[in-house]
Amino acid sequence: MFERALKGLRQQLGTQMMSVATVALALFCMAGALLVLENAGAMVRRWGAPVKVTVFLAEGATVDQVDSLRRALAALPEVEEARYVSAAEARQSLGAGGDRTVATAPVELFPATIELRLVPSAVSAERVASVATRVRRIPMVAEVETYRGFTERLRGLLVGGRAAAGVIALGVLLCVFAVVSNTVRMSLAARLREIEVLRLVGATRSYIRGPFLIEGAMLGGAGALVAVILLGVVFAMVRVQYEVSLGAVLGLHPVFLPWTVLASLVLGGSMLGALGSAAALRRGLQS
Amino acid sequence: MGRSRVSNNFRPHFRPDGHFDSAAAHKPILVLENVMKVFRADAPVLRGVDLTIERGEFVFVTGPSGAGKSTLLKLIYKAETVDDGRILFCGRDIARLTEDSVPHLRRNIGVVFQDFRLVPYWTVFENVAVALQVMGLPPRVIRSRVAVALERVGLDGRGDEKVSVLSGGEQQRVTIARAIVTEPAVVLADEPTGNLDPVLALDILGLFEEINEGGTTVIFATHDRTLLEVSPRRLVVIDDGRCIEARAGLAGLGGVLDHGISIN
Repeated sequence: MFERALKGLRQQLGTQMMSVATVALALFCMAGALLVLENAGAMVRRWGAPVKVTVFLAEGATVDQVDSLRRALAALPEVEEARYVSAAEARQSLGAGGDRTVATAPVELFPATIELRLVPSAVSAERVASVATRVRRIPMVAEVETYRGFTERLRGLLVGGRAAAGVIALGVLLCVFAVVSNTVRMSLAARLREIEVLRLVGATRSYIRGPFLIEGAMLGGAGALVAVILLGVVFAMVRVQYEVSLGAVLGLHPVFLPWTVLASLVLGGSMLGALGSAAALRRGLQS
Repeated sequence: MGRSRVSNNFRPHFRPDGHFDSAAAHKPILVLENVMKVFRADAPVLRGVDLTIERGEFVFVTGPSGAGKSTLLKLIYKAETVDDGRILFCGRDIARLTEDSVPHLRRNIGVVFQDFRLVPYWTVFENVAVALQVMGLPPRVIRSRVAVALERVGLDGRGDEKVSVLSGGEQQRVTIARAIVTEPAVVLADEPTGNLDPVLALDILGLFEEINEGGTTVIFATHDRTLLEVSPRRLVVIDDGRCIEARAGLAGLGGVLDHGISIN
C-alpha cells in the first residue's frame, strides 16, 4: 500500500511538490508564531519572577517601629534580605547620578523605605501580591511597590499573542486541510481509470482508499518537516546575528521550540493531511 | 457444445473440499429469476428475465443496441442492482450481498469490455497483476501467474511494455489476461470485439473459446453477426427487455428477430 502511495506521488510530482511547499509555508507561519510565543514566555518567566519589593514608610514612623517591621519582614521565608533605607540615603542614592536638583532637594521629599530582596526561586507572584496587601494594612506603611506593572503588561501581551497564535493556527490548519484535500482530489481525478479497474477486479474499499490516505499523510508530514527545518535555519541565522545584543538587553538567550512541539507539528501535519485526504475520498469516490 | 468439454477441467474455486467433483460441472453457476431492471419507469430495460447458465458453458448474449445486454452483465458483477427478481451466483443471491462482499464476488468474475478499461500509464504486467494484488497474493506467485496468463493470450515477454503503446487487439488481449489471471468461475465479455476489425474479432473470439475449453464459463455479449455465425453456441437474445433462447446458435432461432441482426 505504501509502495502504491509512493507511486501515486511520483506520478504527479510537480503538483505534489507545490502542495508540500504550500503546506510548509503555512506551517512555517504557525511554527514561527509558536517560536515567538516560546521566547516571549521565557522572557516573562525571566522578568516576571518577583525579586524585589519596596515598602514605603509613612511619615512619623519611629525607629523602633521601623526596626520591628524590618525584622518581621526579614523573618518571612520568601525574603532573602530586608534593608532599611532612610530618606537621606534615598536622596543620596538618587542623586548619585550627578543630578544636583535631587542632591539639593529637601530630605523630606524622599520617603524612607524598607527594601526587600526576595528568594528568586521560592516565591510566586501570587504570594508576593498577598504579602504586599497585608503589609499595606500596617499603619506605618504608606505604599508597597512590587514592580509587577511591567511583567503584568508582558503577561497581557503574551495572552493576546497566544490568542492571535490560536487564530493563526486555525487558519493554517484549515489551509493545510484544504491544500491536501484538493491535491488528493486532483490525484483522484487523474487516477479515475485506475480506481475503476481496482473496483472491477475486486479491490476492497480500504485497498482503494489506503494509498490516498497515506499520500495525504505524507504531503502533510513532508510539509510540516520542511517548515520545521526552514524555521530551524532561520532561527540559527537570527541567533548568530542577535544573540549577544539580545542577551545584553533582555538578559536571556533565544530558545528554539522544544522537540515535543516539533514532533507534534510533524505528526499533526500528517494527521491533518490524512484527514484532508479522507474528506477528498469521501466526496471523490462517491461521485 | 462447450459444455461437453468442461467436465474434466472444472474451476478450482468450486471444487468442494478442494477435490474435483465431476457432478458439480453440470450444476448451474448462474441463475436469473424474473430479473427486472428499470432506469425509466415507462421503459424497463429488463422485464422478468429468466436464464440459467451452467458451469463451463459458452453463451452468446445478443440483441440490438440499448436492449439491455450490458445491463444484464452489470447486474451479474453488481455494477448495477436488480429492481426485482434475483440472481443466484453459485447459489448465492447477488442482490443480497453486502457492499463489503461485492469485491469478493468480483474476484470470481472476470470482465472484459469493448473499451478495454486498462490503466494507460501502467505496464502490461501491472495491468494484469492488479487482479491478483487486490487478493493479497505474494509477488512471486503473482509473477508466475501473470506470466502464464500473458502466455495464454499470446503476449508472453511483453510484460514490461506500457499498454498505451499496444495496438487495439493487443490491449484487448491484456484485458482478457487480466480477466482470466485469477482463474475466475465466469468471464463476462461486453462487446469485446466492438473496437476491433473482423479478423482480430475472430482472433479474440478464438481466445475466449480457448478459455472456455479450460472450463471457465463465458458469457459473451455481442451484436456481431459474424461471430454468432462462426461459433454456433447457445444464444440468448435480449429484446424488448425479455430473453429468447436458442441452444444451437442462430440456426436455433430459425427466423429474423427485430433487433437489427438478420437471422436466417
